Amino acid sequence: MSEVINDKKVFTLEEVGLSIKKTLTDRYTSSFWVKAEMNKLNHYSSFGHCYPDLVQRNNGKVIAEMKAILWKTDYTRIQEKFLQVLKEPLKDGIQILFCAKIVFEPEHGIRLRIFEIDPSYSLGELELEKQATINRLKAEGLFNKNKLLKLPFLPKRIAVISVQSSKGYNDFLQKIEPNPWGYRLFHMLFPSLLQGDRAVTEIIGQLNRIKRVIHHFDAVAIIRGGGGNIGLSCYNHYALCKELAVFPLPVLTGIGHATNETVAEMVSHKNCITPTDLADFLLQKYHNVSVPLQELEKKLTARSDLLLKETKTSLANAGKYFQSITKNSLLDANNSIVNKSNIVRMQSRHILKIQSNACAAQENDLVKTANFLLKMNHRNIENTLPILKKEVLLNINASRNCVNQLTGNLYKDSRIIFIKLQPELLFLNNKMDSSIKTTFLQIDKEIKSIEYRVHLGDPINLLKRGYTITLVNNKALKSSKEVNEGDTLTTVTADGKVTSIVTIKQNI
Amino acid sequence: MSEDLKYSSAFKELQEIVSEIESGEISVDELSEKVKKAAQLIKFCKTKLTSTEEDVNNILKELSSSSTSIDEPFG
Repeated sequence: MSEVINDKKVFTLEEVGLSIKKTLTDRYTSSFWVKAEMNKLNHYSSFGHCYPDLVQRNNGKVIAEMKAILWKTDYTRIQEKFLQVLKEPLKDGIQILFCAKIVFEPEHGIRLRIFEIDPSYSLGELELEKQATINRLKAEGLFNKNKLLKLPFLPKRIAVISVQSSKGYNDFLQKIEPNPWGYRLFHMLFPSLLQGDRAVTEIIGQLNRIKRVIHHFDAVAIIRGGGGNIGLSCYNHYALCKELAVFPLPVLTGIGHATNETVAEMVSHKNCITPTDLADFLLQKYHNVSVPLQELEKKLTARSDLLLKETKTSLANAGKYFQSITKNSLLDANNSIVNKSNIVRMQSRHILKIQSNACAAQENDLVKTANFLLKMNHRNIENTLPILKKEVLLNINASRNCVNQLTGNLYKDSRIIFIKLQPELLFLNNKMDSSIKTTFLQIDKEIKSIEYRVHLGDPINLLKRGYTITLVNNKALKSSKEVNEGDTLTTVTADGKVTSIVTIKQNI
Repeated sequence: MSEDLKYSSAFKELQEIVSEIESGEISVDELSEKVKKAAQLIKFCKTKLTSTEEDVNNILKELSSSSTSIDEPFG
């Protein structure tokens, strides 16, 4: 009850509060539905109650603000429904539709006591928020920015945003390290919360760290897993989605949930859904490189082997061919040599025969001719010889007779002359002494006269009368002693000469 | 990207060599050279798959040396 101090009616604070409480309780008898933003949930886990701060914003400016109260039992029930419907817990920043009553306690002031929160409204609000993020990114031309980046041919350096102890990260590691193909993937963990409101700032923080060492990496992988489907609305958050969209490296996501795709997954370069699939995606990139490489290697080996084999075979064939050709041509050459030599031999033999025949014929001819000539000569000689013999004998006889006659005549004449002349000679000799000179002159005259007579009595006249002169060695033969058998005699007649050989010599 | 280019050109060259050998355009004289080159290329490509030059400690060092940088709003 009020009291009067210094003429003033004074109430205690509690009295005021209680009065307000009475007024409000009278005025607001029933509960009602209100929509507002859960600015802060303010859940005190020690005793389980929540004291949410509720706001209403208009273009970002707070135009209404009120405290609320959510008792433990209500909170637990509502939370369960939220997780079921929304896949999100009750949390800061979401729009809620709640059923409340105005309560006033003098020690706490006016508050809205929340009995019920409709999760489907929040779901719709979250969807709206997600859509807003998509629309904004699209409007800003950022939505496809990360997708347009070129993932390296072989993304082998991966910056992993994950939680060291999480199941998803371990799934990822197990798959790639070690792998049965020996692929080496470099990865480095950039630890971050991956769900709930703090995830947005932590992930962005790690993205900024990665940016500073970006030249070491080919891609960023956001790997989450084991957290169920709860608390993923952060991946629809504009700030995070924008960072992912504009990140200079391709972003791969393996957030691992079964509900609708989040905006972060939409804007990422590649959404692999689960960490295992993300690992497979990367391994596949290795396969894509490795398999053709292996095929090329196989082809190379097979082809080289084949080529070598073919070359070897063709070489062997060429060798065989060469051998057979050489053998054949040698045989041919040999045969043709044999044939030619046979031909030459036959021809030579033939020519020899012909020549030999010709020679024999010529020889025969020659022999015949020679024989004939010899015979002829022989006959001629035989014919001529007796004639010659006769003639010679005749000549010889004639000559002998002449000689004999002449000799006899000469001898007789000489004797007659000598006998006749002897007295005269004696006389003359006597006379000569005395009248040598006159005689000499006389003789001279007589000689001259004799000379004349001699001239008149030239032997030719004698020859003409049948006398001949026999010459041997161009001297008149006067004695048979002057010739020997075999000497050549020349018998001079008045009109010629006859030459004969002495065959018989007889001295008288 | 330059790594990619190196790999692509190595792979392309390898493909060319193999198709050359496949088409039978190559003589036995050239074969040895080509196979040697191809083996080098295969080794190079395989090395790309099975090794990495990156080192976590180096990257961490780089990160800590630039931690004072102004583009680190979240510490």
